[in-house]
Amino acid sequence: MISAWTPIALSRDVPAGVTRAVLLEDNELVIWRSQADGAAHVWEDRCPHRGMRLSLGFVREGALNCLYHGWQYGGSGSCVRIPAHPDLTVPPTIRATTFEAVEVGGLIWVRRGDDEVPPPELPPLQPLLSLAVDVDGLEAEHVELDFAPGKLHLFWHASTPGRIMLHAALEGEADLPGAAGFVRQLRDDMEQGAAA
Amino acid sequence: MSLTADTAALEQWYVLGALGDFTPGETVATRLLGAAIDITRHEDRIEVVADGRHLPVSTDYGHLWTSFGLTPWRRFELPEADEPDRRWVHCGAVHVRASGLRLIENFLDLAHFPYVHTDILGTEAQPEVAKYEVEQRRDVDELWATKCEFFQPRAAATAGEGQISKYMYRVTSPFNVMLYKTAPPAPDRWDVIALFVQPLSETQSIAHPFMLVIDETSSDAELIGFQQMIFLQDKIVLENQRPLTLPLQPGRETPTRADLSSVLYRRWLKEKALTFGTEARSDLAQAL
Repeated sequence: MISAWTPIALSRDVPAGVTRAVLLEDNELVIWRSQADGAAHVWEDRCPHRGMRLSLGFVREGALNCLYHGWQYGGSGSCVRIPAHPDLTVPPTIRATTFEAVEVGGLIWVRRGDDEVPPPELPPLQPLLSLAVDVDGLEAEHVELDFAPGKLHLFWHASTPGRIMLHAALEGEADLPGAAGFVRQLRDDMEQGAAA
Repeated sequence: MSLTADTAALEQWYVLGALGDFTPGETVATRLLGAAIDITRHEDRIEVVADGRHLPVSTDYGHLWTSFGLTPWRRFELPEADEPDRRWVHCGAVHVRASGLRLIENFLDLAHFPYVHTDILGTEAQPEVAKYEVEQRRDVDELWATKCEFFQPRAAATAGEGQISKYMYRVTSPFNVMLYKTAPPAPDRWDVIALFVQPLSETQSIAHPFMLVIDETSSDAELIGFQQMIFLQDKIVLENQRPLTLPLQPGRETPTRADLSSVLYRRWLKEKALTFGTEARSDLAQAL
């Protein structure tokens, strides 16, 4: 069991200026990366105005904009602009629900719960792939497998009931296509095991 | 899912479609408020049956209406329906995975035009929503929003260039709404665009858009195509709001001045004690 920190995406898969919707144990999260400073943010996927999923919004410079009414949120989660009222100074109480996030080992991690544990430490990893696996009831985990000449790191967390997301990365010298094939086979084996 | 127990919802009247949607001799199976219903058009009448029970019907304004309650049909005023130069345009049926109340609230909203209907009903360069007026007309139990104005690059199928469109909104019942909007070919008159919503379940709806417009040039296909484009853009938003039901609990969402009509609408729903299609509240004592 890893700490309160859970990896939810490969950093590579969230380039600057994009949003990604993530399901973590049935919670809808959005990851977005600022074009201004390159920081990745992890928030509840919900605009406080009318509940619109922010992952359908658009990133401009250092801000995430809701698709519905263009409400603009800075990196801290505070709403900085309501286009319907261009002259309004937005009250600081209007904010998206944010989570603490870090990038370690080429993965984006989100901290859950109230425990202020430090972020995980990992050696530099090469991102491999993320994929969904249709199996039930697996707790979030991190395992290291020997994958000569390097190591294969696998991370997973529950997504929706009956589905987990698996994130794979490699440490050291590695055969990337071979490792990708291995992870896909692992997915197929897990799904067949679940069906059996 | 079975029929709701929400009395306020049961006493309302609901659209089931335009009369032309029903072919004589055929039975259509659909849902309303969680219950399965069958609609059969005979030569001389239309029958609506739910679980063996015949429901009352009305065929006013070219649509089929029904109710599970005892409240008689109350015909809302629509004098434009009697004007001979109006085009009656039924724009089809749009399935939306969201509460019908969300659909109505979205229909009342001006501020989304620049973002959801970009360069058609609004432009990002002019997103401001000017102050407008809202009122609850207690004699007819309707909500009105008046003196609404918005800059629109392409306000209607007939609009050639940008204009400041004037709007009035009118909610005639919790699931039925219409707007009056500057008619580009006749600036002294109003086009009427209605959205009648058939709530299938708390989070599934069919929108039945309907127009009474002044337009001698566009074909039906052009008029319908324009409205369907607009509704499909709205559908993307509606199916991605969380929750899919309408929250009435204070603090769950964040209204601003532009949301005055939404604030009044939600207050009106609370006054009616309507819960079908609303989010369960945690701030009220549970009834025993």
